[in-house]
Amino acid sequence: MATLNIMVGQEQGSVPVTVLRVEGDIDAATHSTLQEKAFELIDAGSSNLLLDLGGVNYMGSAGFRALHAITNKLSDDDSAGLSKSSHLKLLNPTDAVARVIKTLGFDVYLDIYQDKNEAINSF
Amino acid sequence: METPMTTTVDKIETLRKCLFLVGLKEHVLSELAARAETLRVASGETIITRGEHGSTMYFIISGRARVHDGEVTWAHINKGEVFGEMAVLDSEVRSATVTTESDSLLLSIGRDVFFDALASDPDAFKAVLRAVLQREREIVHEIKNRSTKLLSYQKEMEIGRRIQADFLPGSIPVIDNWEVAAWFEAAREVAGDFYDIFRLKTSPHVAIVIGDVCDKGVGAALFMTLFRSLIRASSLYGYTDPTLVESTLAETGSQNTGGAPADVLLNSILTTNRYIATTHAGSSMFASVFFGLLNPENGELIYVNAGHEAPMIFRKNGETEILDITGGVMGLFPAASFTIKSVSLNEGDLIFTYTDGVNEAKNLDGEQFGDERILETAAPEGNNTETFLKIMLDGVRNFRGEAEQSDDITMLALKYLPSIQSN
Repeated sequence: MATLNIMVGQEQGSVPVTVLRVEGDIDAATHSTLQEKAFELIDAGSSNLLLDLGGVNYMGSAGFRALHAITNKLSDDDSAGLSKSSHLKLLNPTDAVARVIKTLGFDVYLDIYQDKNEAINSF
Repeated sequence: METPMTTTVDKIETLRKCLFLVGLKEHVLSELAARAETLRVASGETIITRGEHGSTMYFIISGRARVHDGEVTWAHINKGEVFGEMAVLDSEVRSATVTTESDSLLLSIGRDVFFDALASDPDAFKAVLRAVLQREREIVHEIKNRSTKLLSYQKEMEIGRRIQADFLPGSIPVIDNWEVAAWFEAAREVAGDFYDIFRLKTSPHVAIVIGDVCDKGVGAALFMTLFRSLIRASSLYGYTDPTLVESTLAETGSQNTGGAPADVLLNSILTTNRYIATTHAGSSMFASVFFGLLNPENGELIYVNAGHEAPMIFRKNGETEILDITGGVMGLFPAASFTIKSVSLNEGDLIFTYTDGVNEAKNLDGEQFGDERILETAAPEGNNTETFLKIMLDGVRNFRGEAEQSDDITMLALKYLPSIQSN
């Protein structure tokens, strides 16, 4: 069965940022691993997440649903007025994933960065 | 596994209580007990493995085991029950794997010991045969029960499929000077794709909608009915919130094409998105939707493309234009904004919209049909829209070959008929 590896790191920008370096395909079989890990970090106090997608070659609709669930959990209070997340951002998606993000217009909802420092300082 | 001490009396007691050995005489049970071995097995140990040869059957003195194939559990075996007896009787390979679920005490009897003991009593084989047949009757009964349940599920799915078909347009409106064709093919009984085409009540405009709800199966089908109904209802009977529409027009710099149709379009998209993103936030279900309003009298099309595969316009002069996204997918972010764009269709032009069952159709090598092949396959010139879709569908099916259809295929094509020149 496909597995998803997630490495977690803490960075300090203007605010603390938790960086999740994801490796593997994010699909129907693995999206829950990502969601559970993110939920666990949020419950433990993380309020800004940066997902490093440099090691992800495929992301299906289940992956995008997980991104939405994470966004919602990060912004429980103001989710009714939510048009773009300020607490979940994406870093360095591969060409294949970037293409799907663009097709679904997910770049309207989540900021995408190529540079890690720039991403961390944007929170 | 280790060998603990168990008295012969305990062993006889276990064997006597087992339904598989009911009817065996006392001296046969004594002989079996005398030659049986006791095993203590820790929880989680696999005793027999599917596909392997084996000549031993096991009786559970205490503990519990499960019969399974990988992760799928078929049955649980408890104290006093037997497993592994089938391979002992017919010498075939093990039909399933058995793993203990708790620390267990087992009694093991080999094939030779078993048949030796049975040979000492002419009635013993009859007793075992009866027990085997009894088991077979139980299995037949169980299969009948499961088949009945399966049939009733299939019937429910068929009802679902028929009801869902009712959420697609029953007929396509006849539009002067336009030719319209649609194709819808679900990959399973129920689908997440949808399309719609209907006239507005307040203007001559025709609404063209195509969408794809994420995921597959029953969940996608439920949301398909929701997206389709909200879009249609808010377009036809919708209350227009002027402040919502105006602020979004200003915010996105949308081309306000003036008046009702643009308001209807934006109101419908915003209302549908906001409703689903708010009411069903916990489901994280979304849809990509292309929604256009066509003025059939002059070919003007205003549209919102919410994260959907870009529709293609095949111009009469051979050029192709694609209608890129003007917003993200619908149903996730309540305050999302969507931009309205417009394009003019001229006589002889054809617009083709589709879902990812077309461009993402895969062949056995895992290759995708892709946008390039859509462009290569498209034959707008000299064909009516029905033939155009048929050629596209044949192209997808030929490319797919023996590979299974993994996603719903929905296509919609409209062609602006060239007017007949008269002198």
